[in-house]
Amino acid sequence: MMNNCLIVHIPDKQPHDLHHQPTESVFASIIDPKHANQIVRRLNQIAPLEDLRHVKRIQKKVLEGGQIQLLVILCLVSEGNNQFDSMPSHLQELISSYQLSPFITKVCKYAATSKEEWHEQCKFWPTSYHPRTYNIDGITGFSEEDSQSVLKFMQSALELATSDGLVVNAAVIVDPSAKQIISSACDQIFVWNTCNDDSCSRKPELFCSHTIISGKCDSHETLHSNNSSNQLKQPYTSVSCLYPQQWAEHQSHSRSLYYFHPLRHAAMVAIESSAARDRCLFPGKENSEAKYLELDGENSSWTSSHAKRQKIACANGEYVEKLNAHSHTSDQPPARPYLCTGYDIYLVWEPCAMCAMALVHQRIRRIFYAFPNPNAGALGSVHRLQGEKSLNHHYAVFRVLLPEEALHRCYI
Amino acid sequence: MMTSPEILTFMDLAIQQAKLAMDALEVPVGCVIVEDGKVIASGRNRTTETRNATRHAEMEAIDVLLGQWQKNGLSMTEVSENFSNCSLYVTCEPCIMCASALSILGIKEVFYGCSNDKFGGCGSILSLHLSNTTPLNNSEVPPGKSFKCTGGIMASEAVLLFRTFYEQGNPNAPKPHRPLARQA
Ligand SMILES: [Zn+2]
Ligand SMILES: [Zn+2]
Repeated sequence: MMNNCLIVHIPDKQPHDLHHQPTESVFASIIDPKHANQIVRRLNQIAPLEDLRHVKRIQKKVLEGGQIQLLVILCLVSEGNNQFDSMPSHLQELISSYQLSPFITKVCKYAATSKEEWHEQCKFWPTSYHPRTYNIDGITGFSEEDSQSVLKFMQSALELATSDGLVVNAAVIVDPSAKQIISSACDQIFVWNTCNDDSCSRKPELFCSHTIISGKCDSHETLHSNNSSNQLKQPYTSVSCLYPQQWAEHQSHSRSLYYFHPLRHAAMVAIESSAARDRCLFPGKENSEAKYLELDGENSSWTSSHAKRQKIACANGEYVEKLNAHSHTSDQPPARPYLCTGYDIYLVWEPCAMCAMALVHQRIRRIFYAFPNPNAGALGSVHRLQGEKSLNHHYAVFRVLLPEEALHRCYI
Repeated sequence: MMTSPEILTFMDLAIQQAKLAMDALEVPVGCVIVEDGKVIASGRNRTTETRNATRHAEMEAIDVLLGQWQKNGLSMTEVSENFSNCSLYVTCEPCIMCASALSILGIKEVFYGCSNDKFGGCGSILSLHLSNTTPLNNSEVPPGKSFKCTGGIMASEAVLLFRTFYEQGNPNAPKPHRPLARQA
């Protein structure tokens, strides 16, 4: 019944239109197979294809009658100059000594990111295709069990988002190895002040004793799905990541009844409470970071798969093959986590740039969201932080297309 | 262009905040927020202490202000108006998160020291300070306001702090692994 939940990976780069991939012009020539080795060796010395490593230097064509023809790429056509005599002199020497007749052809500019792209590319000129070697769990697909678990956590985010009548964004941070919720939060832009003592107002980060305003104004928005397409019709103006600026337009109510904080988007609040949980569970000295288990994206996937294979010594000296050995499973003393390394976050809406960057800082491993954020989304809609190479951490991003009944259950 | 002495004075106060961060074994980034020629809030990086990597200097100073203003009974409209009269002086270019936050709040102007090649949100990686000028998908409410941004103010002092932090560092700090200018 739940198997119509679809989890779609949102890649680092906007995929190219399959049939309009960017191309580059090159000089190529038919060569005599007898000379192929010498020519290629020489070409690699005098005209390496630095930026086209995915392009094969040689193309083999089988002509009618089974005859084999070899073509080789000589060099890139320099921009605005497609004359043969613009080629470097070494190349011209090579051309004349093997009596080649160069012509211009096209090759694909970027390495293929999918099998489909690769097939299209090879219609121009053969390229090589390397499916990504690092895998944050899920990029290559989810098992039935894993997608059930993804759906379950997304469901709890959805319930949170709608629990107060007013629809807001919600965030649930999960330790996937223990299938345990680490922290969860809704947007807290407006919060009732139920705190009388003065110390509270000086510490805006301590909103724990406050409750979220319920049923603000008269706007009872509900999550209506447009039938099966997971498209939302309502504007959902109270979702902070969708309309980060909305707070300033907000009509002031009587003062001092509640606090407001324009930056307390669900993801920010969830990060804050996971940090509070960390400080509470592992009250060690802040700077003895030697115990930190700092693993960044690509390393951590190596480590976890490595750990799976590792035999781990138990107290009684027996070796047990541990499935899914992560540092914080129950039969091991829990290691203090380094920020949110290894954790996933479930968000109802694609986060804005502030929240998406906060999740980079906090080293979240995977982000799952249900609805895109065309207004301010930073994971594919307006920006695409997961593809910013300069960042020191990269998470994998997935959109969860919810089954109809999941939406209805929370719809409220 | 000569940097006005006023700007240098405020940036110097931001550097003092960064030094406080360093003394507390935090990545040395500091800032002050100025309204009508007066410093009304300051902040420094607290990511290690809080184990919350979003507690950048800017976020700390912003929270101080929001707390104060609401304690004084300011309404949301007034708070929004106040932010539009504030300038931020920070030792390192605001990261994508902080630049985004500043644009959400509608700050008037930002002065920063060194640029932030890894995470910078005011020109280095993204340009969130120009958010108003980018075309929006026909939304009625833009996701943020643009603000004026000037970099390179006392940049060498800011860089020197990072260098000192990472090179001599402190015996307890993790071996970096963090790139220079990680924070801001
Ligand atoms: Zn947000
Ligand atoms: Zn920042």
